[in-house]
Amino acid sequence: MRAIPRHALNAGWILVLPFVVLVGALFLGPIFNILWLSVSDPTPGLGNYTELFTSDSLGRILWTTLRVCVICTAISVVLGYSIAYAMVHAAEGTRNKMLGLLLVSFWISVLVRTFSWLMLLGRNGVVNSTLETIGIISEPISFMRNELGVLIGMVHYMVPYAVLPILASMQSIDGRVLQASRSLGATGTQTFWRVYLPLSRAGLVAAALLVFIINLGFYVIPAVLGGGKVLMVAEYISVQVLVTLQWGTAAMLAALLLFGVLALLFLMSRFMKLSTVFGGARA
Amino acid sequence: MHDKQFMRETLLEGAQAFQAGKLGRRGFLALCGMAGFASASVLAGRAEAAAGEIVMWNWGGQSEECHTSAIGNAFTAETGMPLKFDTSGPLQGKIREMVDSGNVTADVCDGDLFDAVALGKTGHLEPIDYSVVDKTKTIDGYALEFGVSIILYGYAFMYDTQAYPDGPPTSWVDFFDTERFPGTRSLYKWANGSLEAALMADGVEKDQLYPLDLDRALAKIKSIKDNTIYWGSGAEAQQMIVNGEVSMGMVWQNRGRSIETDTEGRYKLVNNGAIAMPGAYIVPKGNPGGPAVMKFIATAQSVPAQLDLFACLGMTPTNSEAIAAMAESDQPYSITSEQNFPNVVLNDPNWWGENTDTAVNAFLEAIS
Amino acid sequence: MAGIGNSGSLHLKSLVKRYGGFTAVDNVNLEIERGEFLTLLGPSGSGKTTLLLMMAGFQDITSGDILLDGQSIAAMPAEKRNFGMVFQGYALFPHMTVRDNIAYPLSVRKRPKAEIGAKVDEMLDLVHLTDFGHRFPKELSGGQQQRVALARALCFAPPVLLLDEPLGALDKKLRIEVQAQLKEIHNRVGTTFVFVTHDQEEALSMSDRIVIMNHGRIEQVGTPSELYQHPRTVFAASFLGKSNFLHRKDAVYALRPEKIDLAAAGTGQGANTVSGVVQSVTYFGAMLKYQVQVPELGEIEVDVDAWRGGTPVAEGTTVDLTWANTAAVRLEIEPK
Ligand SMILES: Nc1ncnc2c1ncn2[C@@H]1O[C@H](COP(=O)(O)OP(=O)(O)O)[C@@H](O)[C@H]1O
Ligand SMILES: [Mg+2]
Repeated sequence: MRAIPRHALNAGWILVLPFVVLVGALFLGPIFNILWLSVSDPTPGLGNYTELFTSDSLGRILWTTLRVCVICTAISVVLGYSIAYAMVHAAEGTRNKMLGLLLVSFWISVLVRTFSWLMLLGRNGVVNSTLETIGIISEPISFMRNELGVLIGMVHYMVPYAVLPILASMQSIDGRVLQASRSLGATGTQTFWRVYLPLSRAGLVAAALLVFIINLGFYVIPAVLGGGKVLMVAEYISVQVLVTLQWGTAAMLAALLLFGVLALLFLMSRFMKLSTVFGGARA
Repeated sequence: MHDKQFMRETLLEGAQAFQAGKLGRRGFLALCGMAGFASASVLAGRAEAAAGEIVMWNWGGQSEECHTSAIGNAFTAETGMPLKFDTSGPLQGKIREMVDSGNVTADVCDGDLFDAVALGKTGHLEPIDYSVVDKTKTIDGYALEFGVSIILYGYAFMYDTQAYPDGPPTSWVDFFDTERFPGTRSLYKWANGSLEAALMADGVEKDQLYPLDLDRALAKIKSIKDNTIYWGSGAEAQQMIVNGEVSMGMVWQNRGRSIETDTEGRYKLVNNGAIAMPGAYIVPKGNPGGPAVMKFIATAQSVPAQLDLFACLGMTPTNSEAIAAMAESDQPYSITSEQNFPNVVLNDPNWWGENTDTAVNAFLEAIS
Repeated sequence: MAGIGNSGSLHLKSLVKRYGGFTAVDNVNLEIERGEFLTLLGPSGSGKTTLLLMMAGFQDITSGDILLDGQSIAAMPAEKRNFGMVFQGYALFPHMTVRDNIAYPLSVRKRPKAEIGAKVDEMLDLVHLTDFGHRFPKELSGGQQQRVALARALCFAPPVLLLDEPLGALDKKLRIEVQAQLKEIHNRVGTTFVFVTHDQEEALSMSDRIVIMNHGRIEQVGTPSELYQHPRTVFAASFLGKSNFLHRKDAVYALRPEKIDLAAAGTGQGANTVSGVVQSVTYFGAMLKYQVQVPELGEIEVDVDAWRGGTPVAEGTTVDLTWANTAAVRLEIEPK
């Protein structure tokens, strides 16, 4: 009888195998289903995909989505970076308090947030009425129910997501490296750009990816704070699935998002090791 | 689409993902369990139908209470069958998914009559048994093969009485006239009602509306786009008004009364030109409770049930006997009352059943 | 190396550093001469790093002053002081190659590219890493990293180089090798080196002068042989080398183990002779270490040259211990 190679019988793998298969099936099943729908509904073929090039409105929705997501990601990451920086450099007690506040904000539902923003920045909100009362403006400023509103709401939602990976990467920076830079004659600004930023880059990229991908799937905030005028892909997909029953179009857009994200990851992997971004070995 | 939907949408985002992906229910629950999801809260209010009971698929919130008191109690007393609820909101896409998956868990959906047309055509619904359900106890033309209208809700508008002291707006023509009536408006963002209102504002007679001239309607919609914001749920529509974001806002007609109360009369409802929407009961193909559900629908047509639904949800009766029995003070808020009905447009479920996809997408494109 | 000129003498005046109520550096006065190799030696926690960081400008001074060539630099930010520094753990920039690490101090000073290239080549040569310029720090051994850190800190010809336990992470053999290289580099560049270590052998073998620190205070300053031959305190005598302590009347004397002769009982001849019983003998190759129990003095350690000392004396044997008058050093100050 021939011996079976030992590694093939690794007991650990056998134990988790059913689970791996189950999870694989649960993840891959729906994805294949979506891919299949996108080329089979309503008629077999690539009709849903050619719509991408022929339909102005799809193009515009995708453009809006991309624009809003990119701007929101940029702002969230910059704010997240500043907050993380402040946290890393705060005293331990203060830092824990800040972290607590950050985590609490994860628990506030999207609806409560959107309604709060309307109360605060809406036409008759606190800010506008205050400014009007003290005579700085005569007409309310339109913060909400437009793209600005969407950005404010989304950035507010995303900042905590941006902070965490950045915080982690900043905390792993050796303070002596920064002192070394100063001792070698670099000013604070030079130290920041040439040492601190590159060393926190992995966290920055991870945060940007995370925020961007979550943004792509957003729909409640754009739907409410955009006043119906800022139509993004996620909401459009939901309408196609639930209301207009154009599942083929919905599946095509879902597939597009999926492959868009994968392409993004692939592109990034060409410029840096993704394992560093996702918290693996440090560069 | 009804009031509670918006809340539900948010809570059920995860659930929808699985539905869109046609992931099996058990698979989804297993996944929730594994991921440590609070699946209980996500799926709260969703009951599995079993023989000997009727599961109503509605929009949660108040409607659960109202449907129990108005229909469920009488139905259970008569048949001995309990009434249960799935409150996740029977949007067309979800009904289709449920039937396609072969795991039908609801007997009757609190839907729209145009759903009956759209889903009936594709074979996702059971026909209504008119030997049990009474065709004469609804509005003419609203007893269709796959659904019967039980109540009417609708689209009307409200205005800020302080914004227009020199004479309030009285019609959709005024609503679309931003010169004479400056200020921000709100419209329903999924086309329904908004298109009809735009055409009336553009001078189309109310009995000439259907088939809707989409291009003309959208041109009119776009003409006030800079002054319009759009809502997707009743709660949002109400909020836009209560917060003073708009000086004229489209609302669900049945909510007008409570908004007048909430704003202490500052905002007033205009029923002239209101678009009456036939809310219909429809039965998913292969419903677990079987033909007994027809008895339930018939119960909902009875006069006490109809009056109760009006009292509880503000939705207007379709049964003429119930209409006749309405109290004097309720008449101004009933879309079918003698004073309102002549000025109301009746939504054409056949047009919407055929054209929802085109209309909604064109509308979304126009406003975004 | 050119460029240093007359610069590089440091004067620490009554330096104090307190963390809350805790005094980490306590009234330190010290003159460091230009080009000197000065070692701060002391146990862990004695304030060496703190003192060094104050010189570098990374630690605020609670009170006192630091003068560079007579000018106060106490308020000058770190990057203006132009001091080189080699950190505990090296603190190389992990995202830069060896070349970029070494070039850093010049590139932040915006020197011309050609000058930087030439200087980096020179430094790589100095630390014998010419072939390693393109590598990243994590691709180097500990000793190589240490040399990169040194090259980087010397690249801009600083008048003073501060080194905080730069050899601490190296194994013993490598450490001795690098010590020699470091010393050689010091001789070549002529920079003032302020070197921190807790390793007494390292201090003895490399330094022009040693500062022994304890509890934030300077215990004693001197050349290696001064300190070894004439320790002033119990702490100095025991931290730098080994000592027996003889308590006589009102004073304490330090007596190095190798300054004691061991003879057969009754044969001891010298100014001081005592008799005791051998408790243990340990063989160290070059020498033998005896523990001898002397009734009037307690346990005394005696080092005997293994080669000249003849056959080891067995445990339990009674022996005579003798030493010259000059061998025992009277300690001046008794620490609390
Ligand atoms: N930032 C600080 N806060 C409080 N105490 C400190 C701080 N840094 C160092 N110390 C204390 O100061 C003393 C001297 O530390 P250090 O200079 O690092 O000693 P060494 O380098 O000689 O080991 C130690 O007791 C240490 O705990
Ligand atoms: Mg130290």
